[in-house]
Amino acid sequence: MLLEVKNLNAGYGFLQILREVSLTVDRGEYVALVGPNGAGKSTTLRTIAGLLRPMSGEIRFKGEPIEGLAGNKVARQGIAYVSEAMNLFVNMTVQENLSMGAYTLRDKGLRKDRLEFVYALFPRLVERQNQLAGTMSGGERKMLAIGRGLMSDPELLLVDEPSFGLAPQLTESVFESLNALKKRGMTIMLVEQNVTKALAVTDRGYVLENGRIELEGRSRELACNDHVRKVFLGV
Amino acid sequence: MWKIEPDRLLRWLKSAAGISILTAVAAAAMATMDRGPHVLVNAVVMGGMLALVSMGLALVFGVMNIPMFAHGEYFMIGTLVAYYVFTPINTHISTHPDSMLSALGPLITIVAAMLVGAIAGVASEVLVFSQLRKRSRENWVMNSFLLTVGLSVVLINGHQLFFGADFKGIVRFWSGAPFSILDVFISRDRAMAFFLAVLVVLSFWLFISYTRTGRAIRAVSQDETGALMVGIGLNGILMLTMALSCALAAVAGASLLFMYPSYPSVGLEPLYMAWFVVIIAGLGNVLGAVVGAFIVSLLKVLTVEYIGSGWDFVVPSALIIVILVFKPSGLFGSEVRGILDK
Repeated sequence: MLLEVKNLNAGYGFLQILREVSLTVDRGEYVALVGPNGAGKSTTLRTIAGLLRPMSGEIRFKGEPIEGLAGNKVARQGIAYVSEAMNLFVNMTVQENLSMGAYTLRDKGLRKDRLEFVYALFPRLVERQNQLAGTMSGGERKMLAIGRGLMSDPELLLVDEPSFGLAPQLTESVFESLNALKKRGMTIMLVEQNVTKALAVTDRGYVLENGRIELEGRSRELACNDHVRKVFLGV
Repeated sequence: MWKIEPDRLLRWLKSAAGISILTAVAAAAMATMDRGPHVLVNAVVMGGMLALVSMGLALVFGVMNIPMFAHGEYFMIGTLVAYYVFTPINTHISTHPDSMLSALGPLITIVAAMLVGAIAGVASEVLVFSQLRKRSRENWVMNSFLLTVGLSVVLINGHQLFFGADFKGIVRFWSGAPFSILDVFISRDRAMAFFLAVLVVLSFWLFISYTRTGRAIRAVSQDETGALMVGIGLNGILMLTMALSCALAAVAGASLLFMYPSYPSVGLEPLYMAWFVVIIAGLGNVLGAVVGAFIVSLLKVLTVEYIGSGWDFVVPSALIIVILVFKPSGLFGSEVRGILDK
């Protein structure tokens, strides 16, 4: 198991959001975490990424416990988190943002390889190299955010709502790049509100409701599940 | 990359930054022709040092989100260290005028002040600001502002308690005849102060733009969460920022010891001037602060020259009010996010 979350409880202040969440992600898997608004999907990712301290529970990455580590230490372990808000460095150019993504890499050759890899995945970013990140369109920013995450040569990519605020066409191209990544062996955990889309592209899925994992299984089967169809697809 | 594109140049000229820089240059040129070159020389020498103090202020605000009202006290620490380091060196120089120390002494003094300034910065971060950060980040700007005011009171009174309230000054750092440029005599001290300011501003700019750590500092100022996500350790960066900015203020204090003798509240004037600069330049904009420092210092020199020395705080304040009415983000504020976005 690459990532193993066991009985995770987390929240903000007195407000508990996650209740006994357990999930696993294996190497090379593409896993979806779906659920309605406010179910705790983003909270789960934020807690794994070390931006939120869990109240209790275990998070193991490559067998090592990482719960309670600060965000920068988690990033150094090989987990890249692409947040919904993207958290780009808006007054830096695309190139500078990407090189910040490789902050933890000391090896110059590897940094260059990663940059080429990201530019090959998102040719659009090459055209925008010297543009300030803050002046780009939403779709380009999303690509840049994913690209920045990939620069550190991560073993696990956590992606939060890649379709949020994007036009359908752009959403499509972001999902295509995630697919391409998966084909190259990247392990991805995807949080998405668009349940149909998320279950169509991933291997396995978890359904989160009110901070609890209600269902899990192969994405294809989940998409046909009566409960899922009733709650999310309104069928 | 350095190609000049006509439309971009035109657009820049029409922007608030362009207009203000051009007006400043024109005003400086006219005043120089009218009253003589000393106007320009004074403005430039003072502007250089003011740039050091304001850059530190802008940095602390931009990276740590602290409205620093104790910054003048690091200037004061610089003057104090310089006084106690340079006085024995000076006695040595007066008995051995040919020794190496007469050339190196002032530099040793300024480097010592820089180091002590940096240490004072780290100490205040560890003992004061990181303590607040650990406990609560609610109302951060207001709470940290109150802390800096308290810190300022403590440091001013600490100086008075341990070192007394009398003026502790020196006559000059560098002996020798003044330089004469454009028919103005510039004392060696002033010339060296300006030279040092240029050197420090330039190396600081190179550091912040091109080194890995410098980039990390900028990253933290632009998005703290983003910085964490790419693996930047916040505590180290915050401590370094505080050390750098306090060291800058201490260097300014030390190199201006010949003008401002050390006394408890010596830091208040540079503090207010630096706040003028930072507000005019746009909060948190470090490079804007350098340009702003020269504009404010020119404004001050012109006020003293044409209106009277009692007005030298009134005119910049009036200008700040006008600028904030028409351009709340400051003259160069367009490229930085305002405080409200954070």
